[in-house]
Amino acid sequence: MLRDRFLSPYQHGSSAIHRLPAGAKLAAAIGGVLLVVMLPRSAWWAYATIALGLVGIALLARAELRQMLVRLLLLEPFVLGIAVLALLRPGGVPLFLSMLTKSTLCLATMILLTATTRFSDLLAVLWRIRMPALLVTTIALMHRYLFVLVEEMERMQRARRSRTFIPGRSSAWRNSAQVAGQLFVRTSERAERVYLAMCARGWKA
Amino acid sequence: MRPGLEGVSLLDVRDLSYCYPDGHEALRGLSFSLAPGERVALIGPNGAGKSTLLLHLNGLLPDRAPTRPAIIVDGLPLVEANLPEVRRRVGLLFQDPDDQLFCPTVWEDVAFGPQQLGIAEPQLSQLVRGSLGQVGLGGFEDRLPHHLSRGEKRRVCLAGLLACDARLLVLDEPTSDLDPRGRRELMALLTRLGVGQLIATHDLEFVVEICPRAIVLDGGRIVADGPTLELLDDEPLMLAHGLERPHILRHRHPH
Amino acid sequence: MHVPDGFLDARTLVAAAGLAAVGLGLALREVRRHLPPRRVPLIGLAAAFVFVAQMLNFPVAAGTSGHLIGAALASVLLGPAAAVVAMTAVLLLQSLMFADGGITALGANILNLAVIAPLVAHGVYRAVRSAAGDGLQATLLAAGFAAWCSTMAAALACAAQLAASGVVAWGTVLAAMGGVHMVIGLGEAVITMLIIAVVVRARPELVATAAPATPQAHRTAVAYGAMLVIGVMILVAPFASSLPDGLEHVAERFGFADRALEGQPALLPDYAVVPLADTSPWLATALAGALGTLVAFGVAWFVARALATPGRLHTRR
Repeated sequence: MLRDRFLSPYQHGSSAIHRLPAGAKLAAAIGGVLLVVMLPRSAWWAYATIALGLVGIALLARAELRQMLVRLLLLEPFVLGIAVLALLRPGGVPLFLSMLTKSTLCLATMILLTATTRFSDLLAVLWRIRMPALLVTTIALMHRYLFVLVEEMERMQRARRSRTFIPGRSSAWRNSAQVAGQLFVRTSERAERVYLAMCARGWKA
Repeated sequence: MRPGLEGVSLLDVRDLSYCYPDGHEALRGLSFSLAPGERVALIGPNGAGKSTLLLHLNGLLPDRAPTRPAIIVDGLPLVEANLPEVRRRVGLLFQDPDDQLFCPTVWEDVAFGPQQLGIAEPQLSQLVRGSLGQVGLGGFEDRLPHHLSRGEKRRVCLAGLLACDARLLVLDEPTSDLDPRGRRELMALLTRLGVGQLIATHDLEFVVEICPRAIVLDGGRIVADGPTLELLDDEPLMLAHGLERPHILRHRHPH
Repeated sequence: MHVPDGFLDARTLVAAAGLAAVGLGLALREVRRHLPPRRVPLIGLAAAFVFVAQMLNFPVAAGTSGHLIGAALASVLLGPAAAVVAMTAVLLLQSLMFADGGITALGANILNLAVIAPLVAHGVYRAVRSAAGDGLQATLLAAGFAAWCSTMAAALACAAQLAASGVVAWGTVLAAMGGVHMVIGLGEAVITMLIIAVVVRARPELVATAAPATPQAHRTAVAYGAMLVIGVMILVAPFASSLPDGLEHVAERFGFADRALEGQPALLPDYAVVPLADTSPWLATALAGALGTLVAFGVAWFVARALATPGRLHTRR
């Protein structure tokens, strides 16, 4: 399913990069992003070096470069949208370019991280660094049921579309809202059942 | 009505009644027993109270466990204090495996129950591997739930229950959304497992094939309890309670 | 509105992260204390719901679509504290998994979208409901207006962060982001109202954020609302008149403009694009804000009435 590919950035593999512990990779990624953000604006040589480093890691990981590039391109417009604001100042062009470069490098770093690290491993890291249990449980459940809800939503959308005879914006809005509303109701009911299942297996709040 | 084997029964339900907050009387004075290792089907029309009964068996209904227990599991009365132990001994398999498979990976989900019971490494991993092997999913430890088929998800849930050493498995419509192969695999698995089983189902062919005994529930009451072949062959009884005589029996010769 | 990495300066990032941590910490504490255990899984599943709902298309014009942000929706359906936790989870996932929103900017994004937005939504929702009473129309009006206000609040906070980081002058970013989000906020309001209408009709008990019943609670809600409005005015007004000069000064010190600023014509005037700009930028901003708020309230009122009356714009389920 195309959606599934889009929703899961993880690319299965067994390279040296894949086998590195998730905590180390997360720390390295965050460290890398911090470094890029802190660099002086015109540190072009540093930017180029980092870019080469990222490409090198990607190659080591035998990553599917095309898929990662697509993700990067999809996210660029948002970066551009804000960077453009810098052009509104006098003498803003170097600022614009440096912001664009920094942002893109950071994006690439995170894309590379998620391509080589499973989300469940990242979750385990969050547990270990003692992030509040309630928050980690929320993230874990959210991730688990994301795909379930996406499938439900797609099914409902298809059903709605097959019963929509008047095309146009108004019915599109009403359909989307109807789907969202029903999805929330079903999600609520499922949450009740998940609670029962958790209790049935010994969970104590 | 078949009397339970007193003193050795796995499950003892005595005069269980339940009324929903909105006034709907879901269960009216249910009484039955299960012997260890017995496999019993629970059949009846929609709305008969099957799911409600199943939730009671794990103390999930009512919201507060009763002071005078109507349910005794393996000699243990179902009261507030015994809830954790009862929930361990009675493994409830929910109708929608997605509701029950709530952990990020298969390994974590099977390990969830034992972890709540305080089991730690290295027994934990052994237990998880062993349970997955028991249900025929060896090697699935690192798989993600949403990549599994319905049948595989169900079996992961089962593994999670077996990992807690459940003595009684209570299953809610286990074959409802399985393809023929998944259904056959599940039937084979259930017959392999030696633990007692109470299976709520609409799948009457399934009942005939693997459940020697059946309980018919209608309107919150037990209307029949006896050998499967006897009950399911009784066409008037079946039709009277929103069921029918399964095809598999129609073509049997009386000798 | 997700700010990527590389835009905000260190000082802003740290300040925003600190505030976000405080907000999140308070919300977690509130949830742990007051949310019944059976609603805990709902937070996680609702986070998934918000994420998925954000994918829905609401076509606007010529192939572009609007999307739900969901902070106000979450606040009305889950209560403010749980909404903070849920929105934080959504932002964390978006940032970690999809690089949607920077990892260093996480603090700022959480502050804007997961703390400010749901809390503002809650405050406005309570205030409007206590004034408008019970019933579907009041609920929808409150939810819709709350959605607009929460969008504006998040946008203003984001604009402030960008301005404080020297990315762009406050006057410019206020006009740009404020103006754009006045319109986006209307979309958010309508979408939120449509969805709540569906939920209320299917399962009214799910819209559990009850209007305060006692007159004392009524007064408290109105007081919060008034404080909120005054707070926003206080925040916005002085910035509009004095800070751009201050920012220019700071920007020079940080050395972001490689060429001298003096003698360079600006590409766009630094102040709100309103005729009153030259004489009284504060007044112009305040007027624009007030006008926008009134329009938003009016739209919310109109749509709420249409949705609550069966057989008019919205067909019954």
